Amino acid sequence: MQAPAARPLEGVTATINAAAVERLAAGEPDWLAERRWRAWEAYERTPLPTTRLEEWRYTDLSRKLDLDALSPAARGPRGISPEAWPPELHQAMREDWDAAGHIVEIDGRVVHADLTSEARAQGVVLASLREAVHAHPDLLREHLAARAIPPDQGKFSALNAALWTDGTVLFVPRNVTLPLPVRITRWVSDPATAYFTRTLVIGEDWSTVSVVEEILSPNFDEQAFFLSATEVLAGDNSTTHYASVQRMGLGAFHMALYRSLVGRDARTDSLHVTLGASTARLDLNSELAAPGAHSHILGLYFGNEDQHFDHCTSQNHAAPHATSDLLYKGALDDASGSVFRGIIRVSPGAQRTDAYQTNRNLLLSEEASAHALPNLEIEADDVRCSHGATVGQLEEEALFYLQSRGLSRRRAERLVVRGFLQDVLQRRPPGSVTEKVTRAIEEKLRAH
Amino acid sequence: MSDAPILKTADLRAKVTDEEIEILKGVDLEIRPGEIHAIMGPNGSGKSTLAKVLAGHPGYEVTGGSAFFDGQDLLELETDERARSGVFMAFQYPVAIPGVSIANFLRTALQARLEDGDELDLFDFQDILLERMELLEMSPSFAERAVNDGFSGGEKKRNEILQMAVLEPALAIMDETDSGLDIDALKVVARGVNTLQKERPEMAVLLITHYQRLLNYIQPDFVHVIVDGRIVRSGGPEVALSLEEGGYREYRQLQSTVSAA
Ligand SMILES: Nc1ncnc2c1ncn2[C@@H]1O[C@H](COP(=O)(O)OP(=O)(O)OP(=O)(O)O)[C@@H](O)[C@H]1O
Ligand SMILES: [Mg+2]
Repeated sequence: MQAPAARPLEGVTATINAAAVERLAAGEPDWLAERRWRAWEAYERTPLPTTRLEEWRYTDLSRKLDLDALSPAARGPRGISPEAWPPELHQAMREDWDAAGHIVEIDGRVVHADLTSEARAQGVVLASLREAVHAHPDLLREHLAARAIPPDQGKFSALNAALWTDGTVLFVPRNVTLPLPVRITRWVSDPATAYFTRTLVIGEDWSTVSVVEEILSPNFDEQAFFLSATEVLAGDNSTTHYASVQRMGLGAFHMALYRSLVGRDARTDSLHVTLGASTARLDLNSELAAPGAHSHILGLYFGNEDQHFDHCTSQNHAAPHATSDLLYKGALDDASGSVFRGIIRVSPGAQRTDAYQTNRNLLLSEEASAHALPNLEIEADDVRCSHGATVGQLEEEALFYLQSRGLSRRRAERLVVRGFLQDVLQRRPPGSVTEKVTRAIEEKLRAH
Repeated sequence: MSDAPILKTADLRAKVTDEEIEILKGVDLEIRPGEIHAIMGPNGSGKSTLAKVLAGHPGYEVTGGSAFFDGQDLLELETDERARSGVFMAFQYPVAIPGVSIANFLRTALQARLEDGDELDLFDFQDILLERMELLEMSPSFAERAVNDGFSGGEKKRNEILQMAVLEPALAIMDETDSGLDIDALKVVARGVNTLQKERPEMAVLLITHYQRLLNYIQPDFVHVIVDGRIVRSGGPEVALSLEEGGYREYRQLQSTVSAA
């Protein structure tokens, strides 16, 4: 028994505690156990964010997240055969196009991994983190929770680094092109449970990498909390395509930390689709780490019922001659609400930066709301930066135009929404997630 | 040609919704299948309002009179129901629908006309669309552009006629489709309308225009002059010609004597 702390440590609960770290660290190599403990210390030290912080002003965790009611997911059995996978998971995978490889993660544990033999022959590594700890320790040791999302970045980066149960590592060696995406499909099913997983993507110099992450779940009576951390390390002259599709059920709280470190003359494209969960929070940070780096970021969301989405994005220009372009678009129906807080940061040395940021919202009902807060923080003088945000409603004149061609009011509204979201999807090549996301949006539109 | 009018309005009155601004002050109009009627009148006389009221625009409220279309009470129908039963209005100011291609839009509009469960044949649709675009001298790639988004004035008008050509209305109301068109584009549009009427002689047309120019290419059977929300004169094509010379002065005078009375 430990002596009671002078002040209760925020976010340390009867089950989210040192004993949980202990259980995970047992049997792990020292470097990893140490990393967990350091993360845990950072977690204990860091207070839970409150609405007094700008970044959390519109998402009150004291109301939205009840850590005391959650237990960390048990590590679960290692193998679940495909026959035992939930039908929703099968369905989601059937809707996919071709892939270079798959990871299936159920309840916080990777249960399946496959990779084409061509990719393997070229030295590509696709593995669960648990497996990689033993099979590729050097890779993890160098990169995992170290460079892109170290634990000291915040309360939740610390929590994830301390308590992750599994996840994915994808490594693509120098000069290797992976033309088809690796698809990571996740399913979580237990209420009152907290899930912590990670994804680590390493593209060496001159490589081409494509990754799609998708998460699904049923609706929950009692809150389930899913916290993921995705680290993308894009080497010099590499190309990375990343997409994530969040389709969790109501009652879920989905929190995603995403960070890309973009190397010299490298290009990363990412698409972040938020459709599910009662509360979704994304902390997205793209670091233009070297000259010539380019980051293209797209976001798309569609809220209904009482969903609350909070997107916090940051385009960090640390080096000169880099470009970044962000477009976030969302539609909000019923009593749903969204927050977009984006910042373009240009460091003193980052001359010749080109950076853009746009957020557009379409409100489909009287009760829906959107907060758009674009921001610039520029410390260099020779830069081109712009930002813009809009919150609009369905235009009566446009609806009348469509109705005058024979479309019912509902159909007219749906067509306008579809058109509004279309340009985000149009910018992505077919085959990654465009068709799937379109279908998911159609499903939501049918409820409108 | 049949004797029953396709459109009949009697003492049709309308005002701006939620305001006491009366715009149509009793319009009587009778259009039979196959007829072409032109409506001319000064700016602000209520021409677009008449067109929009017939199409069911929520911004206007009918305060009196009646309007029957093909024997049914037009005023009882929603905008989309009117469209599906054969009323079409080419807008004076067409609206942009970003992200929705013309092809997708027209496909959706045709699909909306089918019974639940019936599916539009996409190959037939593609054929019809291409054929109609050719008639209007539009390049096929145009169908992939978002409706009226960034269109030039002329492209917008042509797009209105394309929609009319695909949707095949029983009554086509064209609100200043000629304005903003150069002479070549005007000829293309006029030829389009004339071809459509040749194909479907029962199609009735209500042309709203300021210019005799259009009427040289689409010959009206009747011309009406509307001033301050009322039709003050109706006649044959000669009415338009006399307007070309004398303008609306005499009608305005007429109008002031009416108001004074
Ligand atoms: N929504 C509205 N609110 C207030 N006034 C309106 C509204 N709509 C029309 N009006 C007024 O009604 C009158 C008739 O307008 P309308 O657009 O029908 O004229 P028009 O004959 O089509 O003119 P034009 O030749 O310029 O197109 C005008 O004085 C106009 O300002
Ligand atoms: Mg007008």
